[in-house]
Amino acid sequence: MVLLNVDGIECRYGSVKVLDSLHLSVKPGDFVGVLGPNGSGKTTLLKSISRLLKPHKGTILLDDKDIYSLESIDVAKKLAVVPQDTSIGFSFNSLDIVLMGRNPHMSRFQMESKKDMAIAKKVMLLTNTWQFANRPINELSGGEKQRVIIARAIAQEPKLLLLDEPLTHLDIINQLEIMDLVKNLSSGGKIIILAVFHDLNLAARYCNSAILLKKGKIFSAGSLSNVLTSENIKSVFNVDAIIQKHLVTNSIYIIPLSPQKTPQYRKCSIHLISGAGTGTGLMKILIDEGYPLTTGVLNVLDTDYETAKILKIPVIAEAPFSPIMEKSRRKNLTMISKASAVVLASVPFGYGNLQNLKTAREALSMNIPVYVIDELPIERRDFTNGKAKELFEDMKKNGAKFVKDQNELLALLNVSDEKLKTIQKNDIKYEAHLKPNTRSNKNIFHNEAK
Amino acid sequence: MMTNIEVESNFFRRASRWKLILILLVFLLLLTIIVSLNIGYAQISFIDILTIISKQFPFLDSMIDSSLLSPQNTSIILQIRLPRIIAGALVGAALAGSGVVYQGVFKNPMADSYLLGVSAGAAVGASISILFAAGTSLFGFRLVQVAAFLGALMAMALVYNISRVGSRVPVTTLILTGIAVNFFLYAIVALVEVVAGDELTSIIFWLIGGFSNVLWLDIFSVTPFILIGIILSYFYARDLNMLALGEETAHNLGVNVERSKKVLLILASLVTAAAVSLSGLVGFVGLMVPHITRLVIGPDHRILFPASILVGAIFLVICDAAARVIATPFASTLELPVGIITMLTGAPFFILLFKKKKDSYAL
Repeated sequence: MVLLNVDGIECRYGSVKVLDSLHLSVKPGDFVGVLGPNGSGKTTLLKSISRLLKPHKGTILLDDKDIYSLESIDVAKKLAVVPQDTSIGFSFNSLDIVLMGRNPHMSRFQMESKKDMAIAKKVMLLTNTWQFANRPINELSGGEKQRVIIARAIAQEPKLLLLDEPLTHLDIINQLEIMDLVKNLSSGGKIIILAVFHDLNLAARYCNSAILLKKGKIFSAGSLSNVLTSENIKSVFNVDAIIQKHLVTNSIYIIPLSPQKTPQYRKCSIHLISGAGTGTGLMKILIDEGYPLTTGVLNVLDTDYETAKILKIPVIAEAPFSPIMEKSRRKNLTMISKASAVVLASVPFGYGNLQNLKTAREALSMNIPVYVIDELPIERRDFTNGKAKELFEDMKKNGAKFVKDQNELLALLNVSDEKLKTIQKNDIKYEAHLKPNTRSNKNIFHNEAK
Repeated sequence: MMTNIEVESNFFRRASRWKLILILLVFLLLLTIIVSLNIGYAQISFIDILTIISKQFPFLDSMIDSSLLSPQNTSIILQIRLPRIIAGALVGAALAGSGVVYQGVFKNPMADSYLLGVSAGAAVGASISILFAAGTSLFGFRLVQVAAFLGALMAMALVYNISRVGSRVPVTTLILTGIAVNFFLYAIVALVEVVAGDELTSIIFWLIGGFSNVLWLDIFSVTPFILIGIILSYFYARDLNMLALGEETAHNLGVNVERSKKVLLILASLVTAAAVSLSGLVGFVGLMVPHITRLVIGPDHRILFPASILVGAIFLVICDAAARVIATPFASTLELPVGIITMLTGAPFFILLFKKKKDSYAL
């Protein structure tokens, strides 16, 4: 049974079209996230469903009845709204506010009955607001007030609940509590929830479907994994984002990347040797600085490997939990030979990755400058009985530049990048990470790793 | 912190608590009226007052020995003091009641009965009629009163029609139009005052507001408007509660916002128009009384509205009595306009109130 059916509505403010031929049908048990950037028509959609803005075209059916043909009181029996702005002019008590949710079920001359009071108490216990039933709403904190407003909406016993950015102004624990509460309401299967969110991650975690609006039109609708793709987020929000499954919550998790700084497209490239997460921060920084970047050798499943994959950095990969084999080492060396400089992150060395250190030493022999980030003393990250330390000393003697952190590295690179050799075009396809999403980059690192 | 049981029992006792408040206020109003009847230049004892009043009820008439009453005292009480007091109670009730309605509809504690140009319209009607035809009457009604009433209704219609956008009446437009129309109409009043000459004093007296020379007929002519307006408004008390939460919220809670707003504003304006046509522009009752009442008994309009009406009546009867007491030592014939008293006591009290409680209003 379809309960809410939005059929081809078009809304305008004056001559500006805010919603355009929008279709939507929702059934009980659905918890739909309404997503989209500012001005995409999210609030307008809720307004037109709650009869505050009559569409110029199209119909909105609630239980097969056109909501604009119904009396306010009959709509309020089925539809409740938690608005964005919850300021209240006079100091009503929380209980008074919640009891107002019973208004659609009362006749004009009726006082609230025992049943109304029982319902108010029930929803206030549910929303954890009963303990301040007698306190004026204006004296409550933002989160408490929002819970009272939600209690009022539930007291209406609606079939359709609209929430317009219910989490604005709330701290993280209140956000989670309110989302849990709303989720519980929807999982009963009797009520439809349509909620506008700005926080994509909270929406992804709690909603069971979503619509993504762009300029008043539905850009994408359906299951979260279909709607929240990095392609969709890029075209709707114009933001590069990494989409992952969260390890703990098992829901889709979106990591927005800050828009790239004015990319300088430097002519000298850098090869990064890292591992165990020591290169993760560096990769993003070097890319933001405009350096074409390669990396390796990294074991598949290593944090740095995952990051390189996400950032689309060409990477020489080794099988999970394996020592670096000769084949990979040689490929890495070939890659290094094309780079302007090598950066060695503050990585711990064991017998598995000692090869990487040897490769760095070889880079020096090939007259490629090596920058060593020496954040943690080598003694404390040498698990090779001094072999790594020996190599370190040797590199120091042969002109490797030691820096204490990434800031010093960037400063040094800035000064010397004029002197570094410039990269040859077509050597490596760096454009991938320098111009994200201009083309499909999925295969680049695999190509390099072959 | 109240326990859960207390919250519930408290809630179920609410209806009887409200009844008690109203009974108490009615009793207080009657007491104020009787005490007020005692106040004035002529000394008339409480026993005489009670005897005179009781004689007006047919079934008590035969049981009371009225041989000791002087006809002069009876006439002072029934023809001079009582109409004046009843007019005070009626106007106080009307202004306080419409003040509650305006504050609720506009979701703004600063709103009052004069916000939408009703007072200015009445002032134009009254001042022009005083200028051109002071003292004349129309079908037995005083011309000033009829002109004030019609002026008020015309101003209200003007403000309402200017503010209307399609079938909606947005609150902000209403307020702004009200302010503009007020200024415009008061300019006309000022113009009339400038050319008024001998009639200037009468115009000023009317503008301040008072109950001098009020006759029973004047009262009877406006009573239906005030009573019907108040009773019909009370049907919308719960709508007012929800309108106070904002129009969108009220809409979402099932209130037909535009209809309720229109009905309430028209009724409140009608009640105000009737009141000011009787008394002139008595200030501050419509703003202050709802405030004080709300502070004491809370914002629920189902009790706030009737209680404010009674408090308004009590307040204006007391103010009028004070006006008479203050005037008497100087000259028995001087009628001090009650508007001076309401403003002199009201303004400082209001400032005090506002400074103390400004936190409790989230504007």
